Amino acid sequence: MAHRTSRRGLLFGTAAVSAGALLTACTSNESSDEPAAKDQPAADDKPGKEVTIGFAGPQADHGWLNAINENAKSRAEKYEDVTLEITEGSNDTAQQIGQIETLINKKVDVLVILPADGKALTQVGLKAMRAGIPVVNLDRIFNTPQAYRCWIGGDNYGMGLNAGHYIGEKLKDKPNARVIELAGVDSLELTRQRTQGFDDALKNYPNIKKVARQAADFTVESGQAKMAQLLQAQSKFDALWNHDDDQGVGALRAIEQAGRDDFLMVGGAGALSAFQAIKQDDGVLKATVLYPPTMAASAIDLARALGQGKGVGGLAEFEIPASMTLYSAVVDKDNVDQYMSTGFK
Amino acid sequence: MAPEPPLLTMSGITKSFPGVRALDGVDLDVQAGEVHCLLGQNGAGKSTLIKVLAGAHQPDDGTITWRGEPVTLKSPIAAMRLGIATIYQELDLVEGLSVAENVHLGHEPTAAGFVVRGKAAKESTAALLGRLGHPEIDPARLVGDLSAAHQQIVSMARALSHEVRLIVMDEPSAALDPDEVDNLFRIVGDLTADGVAVVYISHRLEEIRRIGDRVTVLKDGRAVAGGLPAESTPTREVVALMTGRNVEYVFPDRPPAPPADGTPVLQVRGLARDGEFEPFDLEVRPGEIVGLAGLVGSGRSEILETIYGARKPTAGQVVVDGRPLRLGSVRAAVGAGLGLAPEERKAQALLMLESVTRNVSVSSMSRFARGGWIDRGAELAAARAATRELSLRPDNPSAPVRTLSGGNQQKAVLARWLLRGCRVLLLDEPTRGVDVGARAELYAVIRRLADDGLAVLLVSSEVPEVLGLADRVLVLREGRVVHTAPARELDEHRVLDLVMEGSPVASDGSPVAGEGSPAS
Amino acid sequence: MTQPVSPPRSGTGKMTPVSEPPAWRALLFRADVRTLSLLGVLAALIVIGGITRPDEFLDTRNLQLVLTQASVVGVVTVGMTFVITSGGIDLSVGAIVALASVWATTVATQEYGFAGILFTAVLVGVGCGLVNGVLIAYGGVVPFIATLAMLASARGLALLITEGRTQIVTVDGILSLGERDAYVLGIPPLVLVFAAVTIVGWLVLNRTTFGRRTVAVGGNAEAARLAGIDVRRQRLYMYLLSGLCCGIAAFLLIVLSGSGQNTNGNLYELDAIAAVIIGGTLLSGGRGTITGSVLGILIFTTITNIFALNNLQSDVQQIAKGAIIVAAVLVQRRTPSTTT
Repeated sequence: MAHRTSRRGLLFGTAAVSAGALLTACTSNESSDEPAAKDQPAADDKPGKEVTIGFAGPQADHGWLNAINENAKSRAEKYEDVTLEITEGSNDTAQQIGQIETLINKKVDVLVILPADGKALTQVGLKAMRAGIPVVNLDRIFNTPQAYRCWIGGDNYGMGLNAGHYIGEKLKDKPNARVIELAGVDSLELTRQRTQGFDDALKNYPNIKKVARQAADFTVESGQAKMAQLLQAQSKFDALWNHDDDQGVGALRAIEQAGRDDFLMVGGAGALSAFQAIKQDDGVLKATVLYPPTMAASAIDLARALGQGKGVGGLAEFEIPASMTLYSAVVDKDNVDQYMSTGFK
Repeated sequence: MAPEPPLLTMSGITKSFPGVRALDGVDLDVQAGEVHCLLGQNGAGKSTLIKVLAGAHQPDDGTITWRGEPVTLKSPIAAMRLGIATIYQELDLVEGLSVAENVHLGHEPTAAGFVVRGKAAKESTAALLGRLGHPEIDPARLVGDLSAAHQQIVSMARALSHEVRLIVMDEPSAALDPDEVDNLFRIVGDLTADGVAVVYISHRLEEIRRIGDRVTVLKDGRAVAGGLPAESTPTREVVALMTGRNVEYVFPDRPPAPPADGTPVLQVRGLARDGEFEPFDLEVRPGEIVGLAGLVGSGRSEILETIYGARKPTAGQVVVDGRPLRLGSVRAAVGAGLGLAPEERKAQALLMLESVTRNVSVSSMSRFARGGWIDRGAELAAARAATRELSLRPDNPSAPVRTLSGGNQQKAVLARWLLRGCRVLLLDEPTRGVDVGARAELYAVIRRLADDGLAVLLVSSEVPEVLGLADRVLVLREGRVVHTAPARELDEHRVLDLVMEGSPVASDGSPVAGEGSPAS
Repeated sequence: MTQPVSPPRSGTGKMTPVSEPPAWRALLFRADVRTLSLLGVLAALIVIGGITRPDEFLDTRNLQLVLTQASVVGVVTVGMTFVITSGGIDLSVGAIVALASVWATTVATQEYGFAGILFTAVLVGVGCGLVNGVLIAYGGVVPFIATLAMLASARGLALLITEGRTQIVTVDGILSLGERDAYVLGIPPLVLVFAAVTIVGWLVLNRTTFGRRTVAVGGNAEAARLAGIDVRRQRLYMYLLSGLCCGIAAFLLIVLSGSGQNTNGNLYELDAIAAVIIGGTLLSGGRGTITGSVLGILIFTTITNIFALNNLQSDVQQIAKGAIIVAAVLVQRRTPSTTT
């Protein structure tokens, strides 16, 4: 109930978000009904009302997903007023639904859900919303906006687009340039979106032609195998875009084994090993396009803001947005230091 | 019998499987409304014959006439359409379905062609079960939850759910207690009163006397007697037909004096297995053949397998060369020099995909191996020597064993133990599935092995075989040794009396306990 | 304890002179037909590859590539051939490869260098095989269930060790073994290991008592037991052997990919079982062929290679692989086969 009141209070808040933040010194845990709270920015470090956040994600069987969990956990630890209820990760839809229902029954204040399968978990998202628990939908999107209060996630199309533009700019003066693509799991929609973005970007550069594409499955082993075949198939090409830095470890191994260095490579996701290779700048890997796992930390911020009835700092809005698409920045030698700390293992 | 044409006539039915001729020109005729009993030992061809009748096997030769019309039974469905139903010994019910679903499996009452009318199925099932004297079986229960006897009833209800003129029952009483057997016989009586014919298969002669009209006896894939009157044919004659021979075999001569003074290589002391056979003693000397005579279920195979370590005894000892064996270990038995030629050769002895050589060498591979490495030349030579010793044909150690005849397959098993250098040979029904003509040769081989110093323990349900081949005979009935005597002091009738009646009276009139030590 | 057979008596008078009857030739011919049909498929693939991408496909480097790619799962397949020949199945091979590869590439293990990694990979493989074998041979657990349980547990443990991270190998000796400088007479060391495992596997299955017992146990376990073979111990050995092969394969995979990851060995069990079956080993046991299994794996790898060289996508590759499995099995069913 208190939580609802504070939400309504927000509607009547002033627009001066930053000013409000200065005015308020919300030290008391019982002060959730104080109208002053409404003016705080989302990312306010000052302790507010106690918020219990339920977090349900898939099994962390992959470096990026592991980084998601870690980002969520460490962000929650930073806040004295946040208690994180994190479930055992699961790739089984039925199991994940059960876990989320348990969190609903526990009456957590806010839910952060990274579904194993967005479509399949829509119903349980709706259920939480109807139970009055706002849902922050992380990355893999539910079927309907009714199932979440706020969606935050990466931009797969944008990843492809930015990778394509980066390569395009590098090769724009080269006649008859050839590029190849090492895609991720072909059965996933995100892989199709990345490829689509990449193809759309390349259309701006008539001198560049994509000559080959093979799909690996996000594993080192498959990256090595598929890259080795691609290298054998294409004796000459100028650039490679690899969808995923984890499979990129295998791809780089194959490139090394084949003794090839006559092209530039752009990765995807933002693994620490990729950042280090870019910084050293002694191999083919020149850049990687982010799909930042920091989105999980941001999701915790948003969840906390929802729980405490705050808006987002730096924006004029009273409410946090319904959806946030993150930018897939290109990390190359020039800006790699800035991102080094966000790289995942 | 009525002069009208028989309901079913099978004539000259022949069916071969690789290595064995299961049916060899069998004739059978069945009248409407009669109970026709089919008798025969395991492996006599009964189950092959009823599978031909059920459409599950296609005969290689012969004709089937149904109500005066020649027919071919291409499939079980074709047989069912004619009105032939079969209740197999291994019940073919689906345990995870209900009684009603099982009864109507494959011909469910449906609405609009595909919607199963469950209620109708249950009602008709309940009616069938009532007719079979078991209205208490709930058609909705899972078959897996029923007792064996009730499953039998369900199986019968299934057979009767079709328009039926002939029902084949394969040992229907095996799983039933006496009350249930009475009920079964009542059902059979009702059926025949309605003009349905029943082909009834059983080992139990007393049952056949109670309900049978006529009897056909199968042996070695042939009908040795057809259409005998069930009531008036003497039991002894029936047993003699089942177990006796229809050709005079030539048995090899025994050595003039049985080597009674030698040290026994195999001694069995008080060996017993609860529920299978009672304690008995036994000694076999080198050069001696000891026979165990008894009917199916008398415990004879169990005794051999227990001596061999394939079953663990509940009491007693097996001593080879004066040393007690670790019991329940085949490896200990083989290591001590025992070898078994089991009853079910294909299932228990042979590697059917492999060559003769490999079947022969399997128990002595390490002899030809150095550090696990097989010297195939030495192996081949040794296997060839052993198979030639036994005149195994074809004289080709590389032939796949499955292409051999039954008798030669048995020789391959014997060659295995010959090569191994075994001291005691345990033979369980050595001539089962062996063509009649090849038996004499096998007998000669067994005798020759004994002459060479092997101790042989022979189990057979064929009384003449035991009497003709063994030096000394132990007669078994229901797990008990009821008599022991030198073979030459016994004759077939005496042994059949002992086997059938189990009269615990020795030939000299003195009582014999369950002792197997040599008499006299 | 045992005495050899007395020398054959002469003069039984019934012996016929030795001549090789047609049955023997038929058997030889049949064995050849199976292998020949696989070689035929492989040849057809090579023709297709040579026509569609002559420069890239018919190239020494490509041969090296195909053989290298076949090596890891190929070693697993040799072990699987034994298991299936003995009448068993091992669904846990992929998971064991994953566990062995991550255990052997932890920071702690890498401190022991080349030998530490090799030793750990093999030991973990054999250890998992031991658990499988004991459960199946002495615990009476059905192979399908026991190895399915191992699949789940080994994958879980691998995930626990890595926490989903890719463990990158920094030991130079390991890394350089996967590079061109390490090739012996143009043959990659991985391929040499694969060849050695194949040859040893073939010899063991066809020329030793161990192989004979394997076939006997698979062909008729009851007959083997009554012939004096220790059936349970032989079954235990099968899973130990499969585990050993998984350990070796894990090591090869570490060398090849320069890393250890819990997703390694994904679906190896399916590739290995499929290769064994199309190779001509009976799924029910009792007949096994290492040659056929290895040809099966080479066929799979060649298909993948040709498809990749022609830039066809993975959906098409999967369909083609399924079709080839069915076709190979159908061809074999048409050859005169056994009645059991």
